[in-house]
Amino acid sequence: MVIRFTCNGRAVQVEAEPEARVIDVLRDGLRLTGTKEGCGRGECGACTVLLDGKPVNACLLLAGKIVDRDVVTIEGIAGEDGSLHPIQEAFLDTGAVQCGFCTPGMILSAKALLDEIDTPGVAEVEEALAGNLCRCTGYGKVVDAVLAASRRMAPGADRGGE
Amino acid sequence: MVSSVSVIGKRIRKVDGREMVTGEAKFSGDYIFPGMVYGTVKRAGVPAGRIKSIDVTPANAVPGVVDVLVAADIPGPNLIGILPPLDQPVLASDEIRYAGESVALVVAESAEAARRGAQAVAVEIEAYEPILTVDAALAPDARKIHETGNVTFSKKLRKGEVESAFERADILVEGDYETSFQEHAYLEPETVCAVPGRRFTLYASCQSPFHIRGHVAANLGVPASSVKVIQANTGGSFGGKDDVATEIGALACIAAQRLNRPVMIAHERKESIVGSNLRHAARIHIKTGALKDGRIIAREVRVLLDGGAYASESPFVTMKTLIHAAGPYNIENVSVESTSIYTNKTYCGAFRGFGVPQVTFASESQIDELAEKLGLDPLEIRRINGLRAGDPNATGQIYEQSVGLLETIEEIAKRPEPAGRKDDDRHVHGTGYAAVAQGISNGAEGIDVTGASVQMSQDGSVLVGIGLTELGQGSRTVYALIAAEVLGVDVDSVSVRSVDTDAVHDSGPTVASRSTTVGGMAVHKAASEVKKSLVSMAALMMKTEGENIELRDGFAVLRTDESARIPIASVATAAYWTGFPLMNLAFSKAPEANFDDETHQGDVYIAYNYGTHRMDVRVDTLTGEVTVLNHLAAHDVGRVINPLGLEGQVEGASLMGFGLAHMERIQYVDGIIQNANFADYAVPSIKDRLPTATITVEDPNPTGPFGAKGAGEPPVAATAAVFANAVADAVGVRFTRLPITREDILDALKRGNHD
Repeated sequence: MVIRFTCNGRAVQVEAEPEARVIDVLRDGLRLTGTKEGCGRGECGACTVLLDGKPVNACLLLAGKIVDRDVVTIEGIAGEDGSLHPIQEAFLDTGAVQCGFCTPGMILSAKALLDEIDTPGVAEVEEALAGNLCRCTGYGKVVDAVLAASRRMAPGADRGGE
Repeated sequence: MVSSVSVIGKRIRKVDGREMVTGEAKFSGDYIFPGMVYGTVKRAGVPAGRIKSIDVTPANAVPGVVDVLVAADIPGPNLIGILPPLDQPVLASDEIRYAGESVALVVAESAEAARRGAQAVAVEIEAYEPILTVDAALAPDARKIHETGNVTFSKKLRKGEVESAFERADILVEGDYETSFQEHAYLEPETVCAVPGRRFTLYASCQSPFHIRGHVAANLGVPASSVKVIQANTGGSFGGKDDVATEIGALACIAAQRLNRPVMIAHERKESIVGSNLRHAARIHIKTGALKDGRIIAREVRVLLDGGAYASESPFVTMKTLIHAAGPYNIENVSVESTSIYTNKTYCGAFRGFGVPQVTFASESQIDELAEKLGLDPLEIRRINGLRAGDPNATGQIYEQSVGLLETIEEIAKRPEPAGRKDDDRHVHGTGYAAVAQGISNGAEGIDVTGASVQMSQDGSVLVGIGLTELGQGSRTVYALIAAEVLGVDVDSVSVRSVDTDAVHDSGPTVASRSTTVGGMAVHKAASEVKKSLVSMAALMMKTEGENIELRDGFAVLRTDESARIPIASVATAAYWTGFPLMNLAFSKAPEANFDDETHQGDVYIAYNYGTHRMDVRVDTLTGEVTVLNHLAAHDVGRVINPLGLEGQVEGASLMGFGLAHMERIQYVDGIIQNANFADYAVPSIKDRLPTATITVEDPNPTGPFGAKGAGEPPVAATAAVFANAVADAVGVRFTRLPITREDILDALKRGNHD
């Protein structure tokens, strides 16, 4: 069947079975390969995307469930002019990126949090990113990045890069 | 080495980070080629036996399956490995040596069809009684897992006379320690993509592309020049993407050749755990003799490594345990015997730390036991015995410089006690210390050569090429910083190539914390040659001598009159038209190791990274839960190139050591791994992170660029050891086996309460 949904702000349609995994719809159907598959069982968070603003594992989500809904992937975070989102800037500035494989999922989980809470505490950051595994960084700089991003995104803050 | 620098030591963003935060970075699984098909390996499923038959007919009947390969379809010798004689088949033809062993490759139009096909392959195996422990493997009548027997590799180190020294000792401590298998658990499972043609192109998530090229070509039966390997962005490796990338790389190329279609093989998570190498489990016996004043006069160590079914890096890991087992101490009499053993389990090989975490945990545990017997403070015993410049280490090697162990001890000692650690009815607190030394680069493990190219374009931009790979550790950023520093240009104007075996020089394997040290040295040399051309050109342009020219901030500057300056781009353009070369290929060759093979006495490594850690923990006596309140990680890194990258290495390696010490254990039942997923094999999550504070000591290393030495591995060992010592201090019970889980702590507390 044809799966119609909004992806990164644009109406899209993809030919897929309703029981196809959303990760495959995104990666194979739309060639949005920024969504990564780390385990295929919802245990690592590398495939995190936002569904109506909430983080979900695209490897567990079936295509039939996204019809007429709003999906945001890592490709939809930066500005149209290529300017990075404050969360992306913060991940680079704080050194929260090493191999980069978990990064898209991390950034989307962070975005869902910061869209909900302007100035989260450390415990809230931990809770929001608990499902996103990273084997490189030790996570300290990831927490720093999310907190730094929240300061940058606060009303009136300088949203610039480095 | 260099007095003033402009970019070295600055906190620099990862030069290749932007594409990773936008999703543009292409990993192996992100490639797609017209007509591409997908391969899945059929695994033995039993740990030991002999293949009686393989029936591929049911697999061929699965819709979408286009080809099934068995061992007989491999044109070359069907062998991979690290050291000759190679002992691992790409596909097993006869004997099955571990349950994850590959026996066939099914290729299909979709990954899903390939998986169904692999399930359908009917393999009849005459099962043997598996050999699942080192004791069973060493039993006199044990079945031989390989023709050569069950001992993979065994070596001895002899310094002085331990026996007579033990007789002179006032205090003896003796004990046994164990560590468990650990999985790399990089987030990206192993993936390769082979494209056929006049030459084969292999896109691979891998660590050492030149090593892979050689093995893939051999098994294809073609010269190495017929294969080019392009390292795709690699989602972590930590030692784990060499052997297995050769295996699936060879399979993908062979299938691509048969079908004349591109072939992708992407492991699922479970395959990544059962079908690629693990960290060796270890059993370590140590005896230490000391005088009343705290001086250690003798250490004897026996290391037994469970290396699983194939040799892989076992010989080198064995040597590394041999050299590091006595710890970072000046001990006159040392005797070590290290042996790796074949068993019918997943093969073990390279994993960040390379045997040093296992022996450091054991050694540092016993140092604390000794301190307690002597009534010495744990830092004091390390201070008394710690290696200083001019001291011979366990192999008798003496360094006159860059031995910063004592400085790391003092850095730790001068930090204040953390606040708020008062015991109550339910919680107890403890503090642990651990010291580590880890040899940098290949050293005893092989010849150590790196080739790097640096070229400048007429616009002043710089391109660096090197055969060492970026795996997340930040080596590209290090190379960019070094080139920028030497050439006086902005880091943003330097690009570092991806590794393509056609485009960069073979630089040996990306292992052993050698990228910054040996790789950085080659980049430094190549950039320095380009600098000579620029300086000569600028001198001509300014009608002066080269010695009066300095390159900095994007300009060639006259030292005597700083207002006289020419943009480097203009100098580069003039140099080009004048015929001064703006490209150089340079080699960094570390002094070769020179040691006695019988005693292992001699010069082994070009440098060591030294470190001291402190950890403060709170233990909940009702639940066994451990909270790490404070973790200080002090390392002598010679010279910090990029603090941001360095902290990332220390923090990440520390958490990996914490996983080894507290959380991670591969569980085998009858030779089958039971927890091959992230639900059951728990790697640390963000909630488990450590409050690691990186403290750097800079005692310049003459063999590294700007004095730098590698730092990516040593914190694994130090953290594993310091956790054990902190928990022992809190609970009052010495744990001799890693991981020390919450359940282990609870059990010990319960037993303690009954005493």
